[in-house]
Amino acid sequence: MAADTIEPKIDYKEISCQSCGSKLLLEPQMLTAICPYCASPSIIQRPPSENLPTPTFTIGFVVTQDRAIEAVSNWIGRSSVFAKSAFRKAAPELTRGVYLPAYLYNAVAHSEYHADIGENYTETETYTTTDSNGKTVTRTRTVTKTEWRSLHGQHSCYILDVVVTASKGITNEALEAVEPFDLRALRRFTPAIVSGWLAEEPSRTQDECFRLAHGEAVDEVGSQLKRFMPGDSYRNLRYETDLSRESIDLVLFPVWSFAVRYDESKPPVQILVNGQTGRVGGKVPISPVKVSIAVGIVLAIILVGVLLFGMAR
Amino acid sequence: MSDPDQSTIQAELVHPDCSACGSPLENGDLRCAICGKSAPARRESASTKEVVKILRCTGCGAAVAYDPKKQAPSCSFCDSVVEIETLEDPMEQTGGYLPFTVTPEEAKAQLQGWLSSLGWFRPSDLSSTARVQELKPLWWVAWVFDADARVSWAADSNHGSRRSPWAPHAGATQMVFDDILASASKGLSAAEVDVLASGYQLETAKPAPEGAENATIEQFDVQRSQARKHVAQALNAISHARVEQTEVPGTRFRNLKVSLVLQNLVTHRLSFPAYVMAYRYKGQLYRLVISGQDKRLLSGNAPYSVAKIVGVCAVLAVIVLIVLMATSLS
Repeated sequence: MAADTIEPKIDYKEISCQSCGSKLLLEPQMLTAICPYCASPSIIQRPPSENLPTPTFTIGFVVTQDRAIEAVSNWIGRSSVFAKSAFRKAAPELTRGVYLPAYLYNAVAHSEYHADIGENYTETETYTTTDSNGKTVTRTRTVTKTEWRSLHGQHSCYILDVVVTASKGITNEALEAVEPFDLRALRRFTPAIVSGWLAEEPSRTQDECFRLAHGEAVDEVGSQLKRFMPGDSYRNLRYETDLSRESIDLVLFPVWSFAVRYDESKPPVQILVNGQTGRVGGKVPISPVKVSIAVGIVLAIILVGVLLFGMAR
Repeated sequence: MSDPDQSTIQAELVHPDCSACGSPLENGDLRCAICGKSAPARRESASTKEVVKILRCTGCGAAVAYDPKKQAPSCSFCDSVVEIETLEDPMEQTGGYLPFTVTPEEAKAQLQGWLSSLGWFRPSDLSSTARVQELKPLWWVAWVFDADARVSWAADSNHGSRRSPWAPHAGATQMVFDDILASASKGLSAAEVDVLASGYQLETAKPAPEGAENATIEQFDVQRSQARKHVAQALNAISHARVEQTEVPGTRFRNLKVSLVLQNLVTHRLSFPAYVMAYRYKGQLYRLVISGQDKRLLSGNAPYSVAKIVGVCAVLAVIVLIVLMATSLS
């Protein structure tokens, strides 16, 4: 594939508002624009290309802006006691509600695996001990032992609905924090559904996303295989997976994006809200001072305990 | 490229098959329900050059924007809403009725014959005094499916065991599912369906009910997504049972795990004829179900004769007592 031949342009795109005629400068990866002068929602339609396919599906926003702001405020209030105090007091700044491009990946996995399966059995063994009268006696007890048998087999399964971000602005971990999206609400993409909202074009190449999805699919096979293993226990599970019937579709997911600035010298913390379910996700900055104080207190308690114990003896 | 108008018409008339796994897509599916592959669009809206536009309301000409409260793009002036192709999850109806070939008279005669064939523990006067209260023709509903599946399994079995009583085994096999019935009936029990399922001629299905009057006609009362779940569960259960019977070596097994990958899963919805007969014996109501196409297939319950059972138990108890006494004396 000629994946990296189309580099995203850094220069701004100039469009003219079809309602009032004013010139608008647009970030190159945006699919929509709202005219600042007349509030008209413009949509850019372009022919699909290798790394900029036309989105196949969309999920519409369900969570309104007010609800998203409320959810984020609650979330910050509930954040860990170890979070930086400035962060807990900071007011979230709504940057935007955006349709985020991501790829939806499906495949069938055929795997070949090797593992050692532990099969338990019990054995009666004799042992000697001293009884209450101080005599040495021989007794028996049953012990559980494990017999290891090697197993080699094949496993075929579906890998369904792996979601990987196609936006450079939002990492896969950040997106995973607000997943899942209810895919039953998928709609066929039409320009009308993103009209009046911000919508991003994919900024990662399809190849890169495909590799990412592929990796997640192989991990998913691993966790399915763990549940598939017979026996009482297993070890040394190794597998080779061949993915077939792979399909990848560009989907626009609704996400509210917030920035929390708690320290002028640090970049703001990105918090996302799932625009369909209202689930909040983000990385809370942990205060090293608070953590070290807590560790100090715990250590002090242990020390006091040890000292008291030592004195008591 | 074919003519765009023609391809639109075709896509709406013919339900295409999933290009990945061959299972038919139903009208209103955005993706294949089995493997998740996206369905081809009904209308191809790809533009050939980059254009900037504002979508206008067809009613009043104002700009259209997506509204989360309405879950649809709508016009803020005249409130009209733009329809978008979404996943449809309809309540689906039967695709055909199998006609009755057994007459009510034959069914009644079969009931009498069955009652007299039940054996000694039943009341002696059962077949002479049981009165058929009601004989109701019924079309019950079920999904019928065909599929090819690659089934992989792993289990512990006593075959090849050494110190532990269990040894691990694994395998993969190709299975064909042909005209498998999964009941959607609320009226018939699973046991009754098991008995009836084998005796139907599926190719006799007609578009309308035939062969009985005043019949009760069951409806499918679950949505398509739910129906697919039922079919998937049935497939899993059947492959599990087949692996148990034919694949796992040895005589005992545990921890059987099965994983399926399907090809060409085709599901039909059909209505099946049966007679449900209620009969009364000494004031109690009993029920019997007979297939509407094969009168030998029937499932039902009948009273036991309490007097006879008590009598036998008493005789057995006396014998045991005598034996015990005899052994303790000697």
